[in-house]
Amino acid sequence: MGGAVSGAGTGAFVVGVGETRYARWGGLAGTSEYQLAIEAILAAVADAGFAVDDVAGLSSFAEDRNDATFVAADLGLPELRYAGLSWLPGGGGACAAVANAAAAVGSGAAEVVVVYRSLCQGQFRRFGRGPGNGAAAGVRVPALRRARGLLDAHVAFTMPYGVFGPPVAYAMVLQRHMHRFGTTAEQMGHVAVTTRAHAARNPRAVMGGRPMTMEDYLGARLVAEPFRLFDCCLETDGACAVVVTNAARAADAATAPVAVLGSAQGAPRGFGHGQYANVGMPDDDYTSAGAGGVAARLWAAAGVGPADIDVAQIYDHFTGLVLLSLEDFGFCGRGDGGPFAASGALRWPDGALPTNTHGGSLSEAYVHGLNHVVEGVRQLRGESTCQVAGAETCLVTSAAGVPTSALVLGRP
Amino acid sequence: MSRWFPDEMPVPAANAETAGWWEAAAAHRLVVQRCEGCGTTRHPPGPVCPSCRSAAASWHAVPGTGTVYTYTVVHQAFIPALADRVPYVVAVVALDGAGGARLVSNVVEADVTEVRVGMPVEVVWEDMGPELALPRFRPRSARAAVAR
Repeated sequence: MGGAVSGAGTGAFVVGVGETRYARWGGLAGTSEYQLAIEAILAAVADAGFAVDDVAGLSSFAEDRNDATFVAADLGLPELRYAGLSWLPGGGGACAAVANAAAAVGSGAAEVVVVYRSLCQGQFRRFGRGPGNGAAAGVRVPALRRARGLLDAHVAFTMPYGVFGPPVAYAMVLQRHMHRFGTTAEQMGHVAVTTRAHAARNPRAVMGGRPMTMEDYLGARLVAEPFRLFDCCLETDGACAVVVTNAARAADAATAPVAVLGSAQGAPRGFGHGQYANVGMPDDDYTSAGAGGVAARLWAAAGVGPADIDVAQIYDHFTGLVLLSLEDFGFCGRGDGGPFAASGALRWPDGALPTNTHGGSLSEAYVHGLNHVVEGVRQLRGESTCQVAGAETCLVTSAAGVPTSALVLGRP
Repeated sequence: MSRWFPDEMPVPAANAETAGWWEAAAAHRLVVQRCEGCGTTRHPPGPVCPSCRSAAASWHAVPGTGTVYTYTVVHQAFIPALADRVPYVVAVVALDGAGGARLVSNVVEADVTEVRVGMPVEVVWEDMGPELALPRFRPRSARAAVAR
């Protein structure tokens, strides 16, 4: 056993990444979502060069159907010592799940924790088809129901009006952003076109073989104005996982450890579940990613700022919300996300901030953003298919528009 | 009685905090919850006032007028029953007399291309079932506003 790996920040390291094949929804129908979760976990542990018996903790985030308790039993883990689930919903929690794993490692609760997400929209509900959140539809005589939970009672104030899912809710956020700041469709299109070009170099990307021009983007059908088809992320099948451990165990890993330099999570006052189920927050919050506080705490925790970031993986359920995240994390001023993207800043290899170098949720796969963590690790190992030369820091963010989280990863 | 949307739309669910709002809606009364302690209004309803944490609250009737804070024209039929109903407008309405509360709803009886941020609107009720009504909004003309 070698000496401990040194690095600033949380004292935790990502030493393994694993992914299944990614496919358009329904494309992996022959393997269950749960089997894919197991496959991704095993791949990540193997990548780290660890034994499955080394795994003592499991971490995921809200809306995961693949309970850690069953994962632990079915993998035959010797003893489950940490099973964490972040409350942060859907795409808001991927970075938090990594941070929680790091905290579990730091506290000594478990030395090796695997963070995982499996999401097969071909086997369960497609997010782009309504109604979501289990809301009943098609009843013969519409009548009030008893709510199954707090979110069910909250979306009662949105879904009956045709807010079937995130595209409709977040279209209204971008419409307001356009009204306030003059953001344009073409500016959102730069996000879609740029990340599609990145995906073309990535053999894992579902849209890797589908080049797209700005004309293609603008010519696509409208979903909910201002969103066109390619403003919206993919609906896919697939799973991924990352292995988090401490400095001592990181020294034993088969890979170059990547340091978790800092993390933060949360939401502003009154943000609730975000704009998806709440429209009453202040105007500045409504037209933001809701991540301003997360960003401030992240930069403080990591000891770096936006100017120090070499490459970014920004959660991209919708193009427009990437612009809002860029604003919240301080890469440009409030309202300037559109011009920033249009400047070519997000483009690999020559942009000021190469972003979503795997293709993101728009063009690689939609795994609730845990694949963004995987890509961040790849960048700092020097293994990305759009490798930023000499990258030493990577920002990874989780979903805008819900309570969210973010990480700064670094090369120790 | 006007109908703008099909029966197959998602039906709302209520809990202990929100049931009173839906009961008022069924009677075509548009309300927001108001804290009896400090007078702050809130929507959606909740168990205590987020400002003073008092649990005492009442239902405060609002005039039913407001302005479009933001909106989207929805083109995709997310359920088959909407195939011949798209495009439709979903809007966030800033309610008059509601202490800044906003409501997600629809703008109906309007050309979808004419809906704008800031457009004045007024409530119209759609009875979806015997005990379920939804507030929708239609453009409020200058003349109608004066007549009111």
